[in-house]
Amino acid sequence: MKKTRITLIVLFTLCALALIIFSLSVKDSLPGLLDRMDAEQTATQDDKMLKARDRVLESIREGDRSKILRNLERYTSGWADRLDLNGEIGLELFFFRNGPSLTALGLFLLAAAVAMALSVLDRKGRFRKAAPPLMLIAAVYTGVYILENVVGSDSMLMTVLEKGAIFALIAVSMNLLNGFTGLFSLGQAGFMLIGAYTYAIFTIETGTRPQVYQYYAGGLVQFTLPALVSIGLAGLAAAFFAFLIGLPVLRLKSDYLAIATLGFAEIIRAVFQYDGLGPITNGSNLLRKFATYDTVLFPFVIAGVCIALIALIINSTYGRSFKAIRDDEIAAEAMGINLFRHKQMAFVISSFFAGIGGALLAMYQTTVQAAAFTSAMTYEILLIVVIGGMGSVTGSVIASFLFVAASEWWLRFLDNEQMIGSFQVPLLRSGFRMVVFSVVIMAVVLFYRKGIMGDRELSIKRLTSRLSLRKGGLKNG
Amino acid sequence: MSDFIRANLPYLLAGISVGGQYALIAIGYTMVYGILRLINFAHGDIFTVAAFVMVYMNATMPLYISLPLTAAVTVALGFAVERVAYKPLRTAPRMSIMISAIGVSYLLQNLMWYITGGLAKQYPTIPWISSSVTIYTATTKMVTLVTPVLTLLLVILLVQLINHTKIGMAMRAVSKDFETSKLMGIRINQVISVTFIIGSFLAAVGSMLYFSNYTAVTPVSGAMPGLKAFVAAVFGGIGSIPGAVIGAFIIGICENIIKALGLTTFSDAFTFALLIIILIFKPSGLFGEAIYEKV
Repeated sequence: MKKTRITLIVLFTLCALALIIFSLSVKDSLPGLLDRMDAEQTATQDDKMLKARDRVLESIREGDRSKILRNLERYTSGWADRLDLNGEIGLELFFFRNGPSLTALGLFLLAAAVAMALSVLDRKGRFRKAAPPLMLIAAVYTGVYILENVVGSDSMLMTVLEKGAIFALIAVSMNLLNGFTGLFSLGQAGFMLIGAYTYAIFTIETGTRPQVYQYYAGGLVQFTLPALVSIGLAGLAAAFFAFLIGLPVLRLKSDYLAIATLGFAEIIRAVFQYDGLGPITNGSNLLRKFATYDTVLFPFVIAGVCIALIALIINSTYGRSFKAIRDDEIAAEAMGINLFRHKQMAFVISSFFAGIGGALLAMYQTTVQAAAFTSAMTYEILLIVVIGGMGSVTGSVIASFLFVAASEWWLRFLDNEQMIGSFQVPLLRSGFRMVVFSVVIMAVVLFYRKGIMGDRELSIKRLTSRLSLRKGGLKNG
Repeated sequence: MSDFIRANLPYLLAGISVGGQYALIAIGYTMVYGILRLINFAHGDIFTVAAFVMVYMNATMPLYISLPLTAAVTVALGFAVERVAYKPLRTAPRMSIMISAIGVSYLLQNLMWYITGGLAKQYPTIPWISSSVTIYTATTKMVTLVTPVLTLLLVILLVQLINHTKIGMAMRAVSKDFETSKLMGIRINQVISVTFIIGSFLAAVGSMLYFSNYTAVTPVSGAMPGLKAFVAAVFGGIGSIPGAVIGAFIIGICENIIKALGLTTFSDAFTFALLIIILIFKPSGLFGEAIYEKV
């Protein structure tokens, strides 16, 4: 057992080092590679070919990687019959094309080797417990990075992943309130709105403000903050409003709380569209031209860090108090838990992260308009939480990706009319996707009430033990 | 003085009219809440569906058939929603039923979007009701005058039904104590179905009156009046029918006063602010019974 592990560690380390060193070494070797590629055929080169080659070289000087790749692709595919693209040169070309992905893969393998080495050395077994989930997370992030480099950030897959990560954060923040503290709040869209607007207002570039605030003489705010600071401010603004709203509202019980928070979300929406606040919020016009991100990893990292923080809170003393309140308010109070203070804390924390989610959503959409943050948006997030399982962080995350993928991608074909031979498939037309989708959701709500995860978390140990159980069962049967 | 009246009469009339329409929706909310302790989030969408049914019915058949048929289809929908989405969850926690209601609302909205193609549909003009009438220099539609009268008439009928018939007595019993009335041999499911039927019927009537004031219907045009009617039900004390009616009239009138003051953006926000103020200072509403929690 230990021997195989050590072999694996050595193997992983070697692979990782090879990948990293090789992918880094080919990074600047493209000009030489181009020479070697057509070394033997200089005599037969025509003008067009030379021009294409010069374009590659020029883009190397400019340093824009995506442009280099585009020109290189045009060159190698256009004159494939005259170039030597096989053997060693082909391998180097492959490494150049996928350089960052392969470096990332190498780093991941190295991390895996280190983790394995640690778990071999670690006698107390503390690390062994934490290693698999951490490795899984690292694998997901490496996978996303490689995917982005391979399929390009404009593809549907990447769009789904981006939006899924953002919705995951918002769903987890709502789950903290509804699933872990038992407060049935429907104000999430309102706090997202505050977050999105705060972010957008502070990151529009000073030069473009007159364009954006064209009806309000360039607006009131005349400075620009860095994106990360603005994201933090977005969370703080949402949390501050939550604090104020919570003072009266959190004294209410179940459905009254639901309807009061829903009402507050509507009030926020109306206030942000109010003409008198136009110099700040641009009235009912949309805000645009604010800073956005250029890699999918950005929302992934921000959402990941926030979700990890929420998970830490849930596993802390406060989190246990939240759960106690959810399970029995009166008993929790009798145990000495200050009901109002803990509810307020859950409400403010949840809104803080909803605000950050709103800021990310604004970046994803590249424009924001208050009118879009309706109660229907809150309902969608609530449905994600229910599908994932009330009281399961991993459930909410999985459900967000499934929800976004199904509604944006997998069910798309239902919106287009289709013919099988000369037979027109009935019912298929614009809007049918959402009908099917909502029927599926209703089925989950009615017959599968616990959702994907119930109130448990995804555990690799349980998954593997179930798999091995199934194997054992097969042997016996 | 006469100038003041001349300037504000249209708003007052509109307020009373809208208030009556809210009242008809609010009754559906308040009755369901009284019996099931459920905020029926789908009620506003049933109200919108009624409008679309009317649009499509009226395209193919004369008015004297389409009006009752619309009411019948809406009632059938309300009944079906209860049977499919709420009945299986009777023993589930209350949050589950509420989520199911939200799911139904989502489904109905998407279904309407699919059927109409997301386009606004022109609402048919109902003769006589849509004709103009002038009251003391204020020109308005006949529906403005008809609504309060019809609303009051229906409410009186409903109160009679609840106070003086067997099914009404059963409803009162169930809303007082669900479990005990079950033990007393009341057919709970029947009572709940009747509640949804009455609620949906009133929503259909309210929809006919409400949309006569507007030219077009979209899948989301019922969401706001639905929410406001709910606020009216809470304002009057949820579970109480006279409370819901009075709450609806107050909200309808206040909303139009705010519009008269030129603050149209805030007319929706005002309704919710009112709701929150009421919930903080008198959570049981104007006429509701205070709820005490037993340990």
